[in-house]
Amino acid sequence: MRLADIQMSDAGRVVVARLTGELDLSNTGNIGAVLAEAVPNSAHALVVDLSEVDYLDSAGIHLIYELRERLRTRGQALRLVIPADAPAHDALRLAGVSGHVATSHSVDAALAELDGS
Amino acid sequence: MPGFRPFTGSERRPPRAGQVVLPPVSSELAHDDQLRTLARLSDPALSEMGLEEFLNELLLRVRDALSVDTVAILLYDEEANQLVARAATGIEEEVERGVRLPIGHGFAGRIAAERVAIFIQDVDHADILNPILLEKGVRSLLGVPLIVEGHLIGVLHVGSLKPRTFGDRDLAVLQAAAGRAAPGIERARLVSAFEHEHRVAMLLQRSLLPQRLVEFSGFSAAARYLPATDEVGGDWYDVFELSHGRLGVAIGDVVGHGLRAAALMGQLRTALHAYALEDHSPARTLELVDRFVQTMPDSPMATAAYAVLNPDTGRLTLASAGHLPPLVIGNAGARTLEVTPAPPLGAVPYSTCTEREIQLGSGEVLLLYTDGLVERPDVRLSQSIELLCDVVGSARSAEEACRRAFDELVPAEGPRDDVAVIALKNAEIPEQLRLTLPADPRVLADVRRALRRWLRVRGAGDQDVMEITLAVSEACTNAVEHAYSPAPAQFSVDASAENGDIRIVVRDVGQWRTPRGTNRGRGLKIMESAMDEVSVDAAPSGTEIVMKRRLNR
Repeated sequence: MRLADIQMSDAGRVVVARLTGELDLSNTGNIGAVLAEAVPNSAHALVVDLSEVDYLDSAGIHLIYELRERLRTRGQALRLVIPADAPAHDALRLAGVSGHVATSHSVDAALAELDGS
Repeated sequence: MPGFRPFTGSERRPPRAGQVVLPPVSSELAHDDQLRTLARLSDPALSEMGLEEFLNELLLRVRDALSVDTVAILLYDEEANQLVARAATGIEEEVERGVRLPIGHGFAGRIAAERVAIFIQDVDHADILNPILLEKGVRSLLGVPLIVEGHLIGVLHVGSLKPRTFGDRDLAVLQAAAGRAAPGIERARLVSAFEHEHRVAMLLQRSLLPQRLVEFSGFSAAARYLPATDEVGGDWYDVFELSHGRLGVAIGDVVGHGLRAAALMGQLRTALHAYALEDHSPARTLELVDRFVQTMPDSPMATAAYAVLNPDTGRLTLASAGHLPPLVIGNAGARTLEVTPAPPLGAVPYSTCTEREIQLGSGEVLLLYTDGLVERPDVRLSQSIELLCDVVGSARSAEEACRRAFDELVPAEGPRDDVAVIALKNAEIPEQLRLTLPADPRVLADVRRALRRWLRVRGAGDQDVMEITLAVSEACTNAVEHAYSPAPAQFSVDASAENGDIRIVVRDVGQWRTPRGTNRGRGLKIMESAMDEVSVDAAPSGTEIVMKRRLNR
């Protein structure tokens, strides 16, 4: 079994990517490429759901920053879904970047925030 | 009539062009020396030969006994209703080109259809369908059917390149040869068909079982499969990685034998594996495989056991569908793991499975096996399982458990039923963790797994485990990213604990690089936030990161 998996779905003009498993240096390169590819020009945002990610470290944070930059150049927004009890939440906190990325507690909340923006 | 030799005797059927049907003759007409030549055809030794060897022997003996130029054996293919050239001397092309002839027409076809001997004096004037006989210049032919217990199995015919009259004496010899050889051919053919199926089934079985067991830090697996002496069965085993780092281990046994059981086994193994990857519980996984079996034609049945292990905690969840109880081998010997029995897969509509959860202790071995290992005539199953417990009780590794089970319980002449065994050991968690690993990003997950297991035993809580694992993985990521040396680079992780103080050292032979950009800075930031103390000693020969943290702080 692969360390991590990705499930894509469309919510109107927003692409939702649900990640599961562990993200580290061994797979963030591939995952970043897949996520960037999955967002068509017609979409205006990507929601990355990290609720079910068991492990994430600086390689995963790097992936998020790169992805955000890549989407920004295309005029697209990135929003993360990280509940307070998710391991990804601790990683962002320990890295001191919690406030730097747009984050919601659920996919629904993320979609609502994007609608309002 | 040209080419037609009127045969003195009662002709039972009207002649066709050039063909004369000969009534059976007494074998006494044959010369003794001719019969002696053929005598060995019914030797028991001959039946030990393979079909190929047997047919070649037959060809040569018939050729010598009758002084003919060609001999051919065509075997009856029931499904196609055709004769297939199987062996020939003098007209080898017949076999090489795979000549197939219809039943009922031509020379051989008519012999087969009417089960009579036929003589052709001159092929030019006869109804011959086989072009090779004409190409080779065969002039005269004599053929007889090969019959075993009233069933046609083929045709034996001889030919001469010079026009020749085959008389009663020749027919007597050919008849005797056919009579003696036919049962041997039939037996050899059955054996060869059986061997063929056996080989195919073996191949299938091998290709369906895992070629390599997953390597999994903290666990070691070993497995054995042995087909029954005379037939392949439907036993299988499987071990695979699941989400959240868990491990699935399965064993099963399809009721029945042969190719069909082997093929069915492949389907069930795949179905179980696929449902398991969907993160269903062991009980639900078996229920889903049961529903799958229920949709299959011919109502197949199988037993199976499936367990999921959490390597971080050693928790094992087990479910069984009519399968024999697994064993747990520990310091106190082996014990059976009784699970509330559910019916076999495919046995009852809407059957439900129950689960049992146990702790697989550090150093303990889980052993799953099929009934071929323990079923003995005249021995109660419970006694056999007790014997198995005795035999594997002192095994200290998965490999040793499999070896002992096979050495002691599988008869030297091979098992009566096929046997599958799979064992999984929850490795001992050492006082001090020492890992030396290649500088490859793929080992990072292994480091985290090993560290989590070690930390749990040291009394670390969830938050400790999460944060320390994160810090150590960051240090290892650094070692992997910056490792550069001509030889394959390695790095090491050493973890020790003293009175609730954890000390972890990560060493590599690469050079520490001052964090570039925001990314690497984040790694160091994470280490510093997660641990009480972090020191980086960057020397030209390598980098050493020492990290300390007090548990449950």
